[in-house]
Amino acid sequence: MVRKSILVFLLPSLMLLSVFVIYPTLYTVWLSFFDEEGKFVGLNNYFKVLSSRETVNLRRFPFKSPPWGTLIHNAVWIAVHLPLSLLLGLLFAVVLRNIKGASIVRGMIFLGMVMPMVVGGWMIRFMFDKDMGVVNALLRLLGIKWLANKTWTAWPEYSLIATILGGVWIWTGFSMVIYMAALSAIPREYYEAADIDGASALQKFFHITLPLLKPATSVIVVMSVLYELKIFDIVFVATRGGPGASSNVLALQMYDYAFRALKFNEAAAIAVLLTLLTLGPAIYIARSAVR
Amino acid sequence: MLRKFAVALLVISFVLTLWTTALIYAAPERPTLVVIGPWAGPERDKFIPVLKTAEIKLGIRIEYRIYRAEDLAEILPAQFKAGKTPGDVIFMWAWWIRKNRQHVVDLTSVIEKDKYMKGILEQVTVNGKIYGAPYTGKIKPGFWYRISFFKKYGLKVPTTWDEFVNLLKEIKEKVGITPIASGDGVGWPLSDVTEHFILCFAGAKTFKKLITGEVRFTDPQIKEVFKDKLVPLLKAGYFSAPEEWTTILKKWWDSKYALYFMGSWITGMVPNPEDLGVFPLPGTKAFVFCPDYMFVPKYSKHLKEAIELAKFLSGAQGQTIQVIMGGHIATRVDVPLSVYPPVDRRVAEILKKAAEVVSDLDDTIGGKFQTTFWDQLKYLWVHPEEWETVLSNIEAVQPRP
Repeated sequence: MVRKSILVFLLPSLMLLSVFVIYPTLYTVWLSFFDEEGKFVGLNNYFKVLSSRETVNLRRFPFKSPPWGTLIHNAVWIAVHLPLSLLLGLLFAVVLRNIKGASIVRGMIFLGMVMPMVVGGWMIRFMFDKDMGVVNALLRLLGIKWLANKTWTAWPEYSLIATILGGVWIWTGFSMVIYMAALSAIPREYYEAADIDGASALQKFFHITLPLLKPATSVIVVMSVLYELKIFDIVFVATRGGPGASSNVLALQMYDYAFRALKFNEAAAIAVLLTLLTLGPAIYIARSAVR
Repeated sequence: MLRKFAVALLVISFVLTLWTTALIYAAPERPTLVVIGPWAGPERDKFIPVLKTAEIKLGIRIEYRIYRAEDLAEILPAQFKAGKTPGDVIFMWAWWIRKNRQHVVDLTSVIEKDKYMKGILEQVTVNGKIYGAPYTGKIKPGFWYRISFFKKYGLKVPTTWDEFVNLLKEIKEKVGITPIASGDGVGWPLSDVTEHFILCFAGAKTFKKLITGEVRFTDPQIKEVFKDKLVPLLKAGYFSAPEEWTTILKKWWDSKYALYFMGSWITGMVPNPEDLGVFPLPGTKAFVFCPDYMFVPKYSKHLKEAIELAKFLSGAQGQTIQVIMGGHIATRVDVPLSVYPPVDRRVAEILKKAAEVVSDLDDTIGGKFQTTFWDQLKYLWVHPEEWETVLSNIEAVQPRP
């Protein structure tokens, strides 16, 4: 009886999930094994995508400037964006903890998170503009004129890093908020005990704060990796993956295959690859939630 | 007293309800058609009078919705697969209409074939059937300049290639600014100027063969255009690095640049169109003309009215109203020059004098070629020394005949 009633309650959400999640996902996987004429081609679409210079360009990576291929660009996103946004988030959360009026600064940092990504993309475009960019103005103040006089998004050497740094500005608010919540959960007694033992501020940070922030760090790392793998909107608006595909990413490549080249099967293969890549962090989150 | 008032109120409301219901049922049914187009802001305001006239003439209601072609390319496939459509008349790329013709109404019987400029209908024709109705279009006549700016610095419109190069040199050295503004966005402004170079130096015949794929981007004649004409100018710093095209338009108007290659729609985007002058690359005989095309989806609930509307919009009356509003050039040959506003008339005259008009290269091919072409040109603009790699990359996605 109980089992039956559970089923009845589950049914509506299961039906919705089946129509809007399970069926499209399975259909995408199905599509990825066929060619445009509907002929079964096995893993051919995957080989095509992975062997394409658009996805991995070893002729240029790592010694020449981008384009290095979308997969490598996504990896660079993770390598640069993840530590930067994580460390900055931690820094702001710790530094702004006991400062008067810090909520205004925190609000400003969090602005990037609440802003629509499309607006964020446009902001990035302007942030690195040679005439009106705030980053360029800063560089000019520091005397780095050769870099300040370039619109970063127009140059293959800088467009990838411009989108990543813009992404850091957008995402830092997220890690800061998570760290702030985690910091407030650390009992004051620990610090008081450390004070009695004569611990310095640095010792307290490395021996109390940092270890107790581990669960929060895991959440930020997983969520950030997911964000970096799926990144699309800000790249689409800021550079459209260019110039010369130098800032292109997997999600944008998938979009181009589907809606520009009308190659839905190859686009499906990229979608499956992206899903597989995001599956690891997603499983970790699911497991943590169950625990 | 109160009771009498309440009864009177009840009677009045009953009569009013009856009267309204009778009116609704007695009135002839006026179907509401949805027109989807790309024009927003001032461009939309200039398009609405055309639709208003159509409403009166055809006895229909029209709802205008703004969607860019890029957005439609995402929405329409799923809608069509479900046998539905978000609009009854939709403006879209010609290549997209051709490729998706299984969802499109054949308009062959309603299009007056002999009333359009040569080459206009070819872009939406497959196996003798016409799937798209041409509306008005935009021409890409050459480099725009401010007449007052040229006067101030004593600059002259060039008549030969050498004069053109000297003009750029003079602007750079004497005026002290980068001569040509390079518009960016998704990348099409760079493709426009590149196409103009190809048309001027390789000719319309080769240009058309580039579209069909008979001539490749790596063929010697195309390489020559890049190596000898475009790339030296880029290397000399005569073109700016690409910047968002509306932002750089303002800078150009404020005299931070002297020349700007743009389509005829620029006349509607500057404060004083009377101060606008334009010249092509000396020796150019053919120009790119980009008509806007519309189609009627098979899944329209008002198919008959939608076809009539497409016929009206692509017809002489529809195009004439649009041309009078400004910023548009008719694709029909029976729209007289006298109806154009002065600045558009100058552009229309260039078009009439041209030996040939051709369709936009990247718009005609479309698909992945288009985005790659735009993106590679953005790369070329900042790294002209890699022009051969750029041409190879473009050739790799160029369709084969």
